[in-house]
Amino acid sequence: MSKLVVLQPTKQPSLSLLPSSLSDFNGTKLCQIQTWLQYKRKVWQPKGALHVVASSTKKILIMGGTRFIGVFLSRLLVKEGHQVTLFTRGKAPITQQLPGESDSEYSDFKSKILHLKGDRKDFEFVKSSLSAEGFDVVYDINGREADEVEPILDALPNLEQFIYCSSAGVYLKSDLLPHCEIDSVDPKSRHKGKLNTESLLASRGVNWTSLRPVYIYGPLNYNPVEEWFFHRLKAGRPIPIPNSGVQITQLGHVKDLAKAFIQVLGNEKASKQVFNISGEKYVTFDGLARACAKAAGFPEPEIVHYNPKEFDFGKKKAFPFRDQHFFASIEKAKHVLGWKPEFDLVEGLADSYNLDFGRGTFRKEADFSTDDMILGKSLVLQA
Amino acid sequence: MAALAATSSSSLLFFSPPSKLPSTSVCPLPRLCLSTSSSSSSSSSSLSITPSFLAYPTSSRRYSASSFTVRASAAETKKVLIVNTNSGAHAVIGFYFAKELMGSGHEVTILTVGEEGSDKMKKPPFNGFSEIVSAGGKTVWGDPADVGKIVAGATFDVVLDNNGKDLDTVRPVADWAKSTGVKQFLYISSAGIYKPTDEPPHVEGDVVKADAGHVGVEKYIAEIFSSWTIFRPQYMIGSGNNKDCEEWFFDRIVRKRPVPIPGSGMQLTNIAHCRDLSSMLTLAVEKPEAASCNIFNCVSDRAVTLDGMARLCAEAAGLPVEIVHYDPKAVGIDAKKAFPFRNMHFYAEPRAAKDILGWNGTTNLPEDLKERFDEYVKIGRDKKPMQFEIDDKILESLKVPVPV
Repeated sequence: MSKLVVLQPTKQPSLSLLPSSLSDFNGTKLCQIQTWLQYKRKVWQPKGALHVVASSTKKILIMGGTRFIGVFLSRLLVKEGHQVTLFTRGKAPITQQLPGESDSEYSDFKSKILHLKGDRKDFEFVKSSLSAEGFDVVYDINGREADEVEPILDALPNLEQFIYCSSAGVYLKSDLLPHCEIDSVDPKSRHKGKLNTESLLASRGVNWTSLRPVYIYGPLNYNPVEEWFFHRLKAGRPIPIPNSGVQITQLGHVKDLAKAFIQVLGNEKASKQVFNISGEKYVTFDGLARACAKAAGFPEPEIVHYNPKEFDFGKKKAFPFRDQHFFASIEKAKHVLGWKPEFDLVEGLADSYNLDFGRGTFRKEADFSTDDMILGKSLVLQA
Repeated sequence: MAALAATSSSSLLFFSPPSKLPSTSVCPLPRLCLSTSSSSSSSSSSLSITPSFLAYPTSSRRYSASSFTVRASAAETKKVLIVNTNSGAHAVIGFYFAKELMGSGHEVTILTVGEEGSDKMKKPPFNGFSEIVSAGGKTVWGDPADVGKIVAGATFDVVLDNNGKDLDTVRPVADWAKSTGVKQFLYISSAGIYKPTDEPPHVEGDVVKADAGHVGVEKYIAEIFSSWTIFRPQYMIGSGNNKDCEEWFFDRIVRKRPVPIPGSGMQLTNIAHCRDLSSMLTLAVEKPEAASCNIFNCVSDRAVTLDGMARLCAEAAGLPVEIVHYDPKAVGIDAKKAFPFRNMHFYAEPRAAKDILGWNGTTNLPEDLKERFDEYVKIGRDKKPMQFEIDDKILESLKVPVPV
């Protein structure tokens, strides 16, 4: 249902260490799209690219939305005036005030966000509850398997768009990089559920869009990516990095990813398309250790390289990244959507540090047991 | 190899040709990507998306520049002077560029440094110059410092300096071009001037090494010309290449010798087919406003690891490969002499060319290397007796056995 919506520019919340534009966890440079009138599709050009913003209010369902990506995405959607429902089991609080978020902003968001409590693995419930509600758009942020998506599609035959959070992990490992959207995918990968979901979406004739992030980082990250480095930096410990340290990976800030999710909403150019979404530049493992130190204001770290084959770490992960090159080109999203990341690596890591780890919050306790195995052996070799 | 179903339904915008590539883990699908019409300085508010793709040869056909499908949009014939080096890795660029320009109907003169009768002219690409002449191109020789005299007062619309690595060498050419009213000055610089970084790839605008000779040239031409374009290439393959690239790997693979690669072998590099460099240069000539005052990384749109290059060469040859890693310092050899690529990440991406010129890369190493191998065998290089002194030194220090 459309209604006239004139959005006010967001007030920048105040925050200490960083310039305010970087500390607005809601996603920064959105002020530009906040004053438009609806009923018309307005053509807006960020830096010369065509960008069409859907202006009608939509009834939007987010599968998930209480943990990381969805936390930022839901706020952007509510700010745009959409009616947003989060489908979760209710195990985590539906909303939480975020560092840097003003009380008034938080209470506004909290008053508008809706919750549909349920287990998405209960397909019958999913189908019946979604069908009863009816939604214009579904963002599937936490789906892993194709069978989880079927009941959603069954429940919503008039769905305008199904927007899926996939993963660059679906790409087949290659000597030729970066991974691009047309490259071969790996049907045996750990992420084959994501692949199967993309195939299902394509086969069902629904208007779908799939975003493939690489490694996501930012405040509230529950995957210990930057947190892994911050723990060691804070403890003044060397950073153990497997093999040469020249392996190249790529981090994408969660706020940039949330923006990308917004930019595909109602966007014809995103129809039935896959987009890699991540940072503008890649980074070596060694370089990432240095970038984390720089971002958090620690001195340059001591890096210790080791051969992982010489150790048995059991079930523990000694390092948070795949021990290989892994990065994807974001040129398609840039050219087709006019999206581009706002955060560069050090800025983004600083944002994460200042709003999360640097305030004393983190998801996983520090565990240096694998480090000590590595460092113990290195010391023995040096002796 | 499972093809994502989604890919075929997104064929509205992306063209996925039937793949003739073998099903191996290293082969991406051929990339024929959407090209957007370039955003010229008077940007319109609508982005017209026109699928445009280059036909590139399959492995069964011999490559020749004149069989290109040309995206030429300019109707104007240009008179182009290419000042070309007489040796080294960049020599071949002028050759492909000349042929493509002539294929598009432009007039080309190549001024090669030195003398027509010199020994250097017996090497490729110069020994193929009859192709240039038969296509209507002019070939002259001399010292670029005397360019005006050598071209006997002719004037040109476009000049490409594919020779000088420092300002002393390029300045006379640039000054002469300026004084004779050349409208567009193009310069082949090098991606080697980028400062090493923790955050690849090198993109246009990244910091360069201030003391690099090419940098001095770049600065100068940007000062004196109103329409200048700088190209920063890396490595290239293609018939007529003056410097070994893939041949270095083939030499070892066909003789069943281990391939010694310094460091981890994970270093990324960028190896483009000459036709990609040539197409970017030609686009710049045909879209002068878009190209003006821009720097373009003149590279393919994929990086390859050093180990990966060895593997791809072996696959192209249909032979196995044994890769051996070593530390050049520990062995006591100069890695530059031992190996044809930089022993570090050396990886630029052609983002500006894609954004600004609407350029698309067609380099497909798995396919292109097959053609290169066919030529390698055809000229009999696989049978040529060779010494591998440095290799032997490396392998001995690593105690790796070598077939006699």
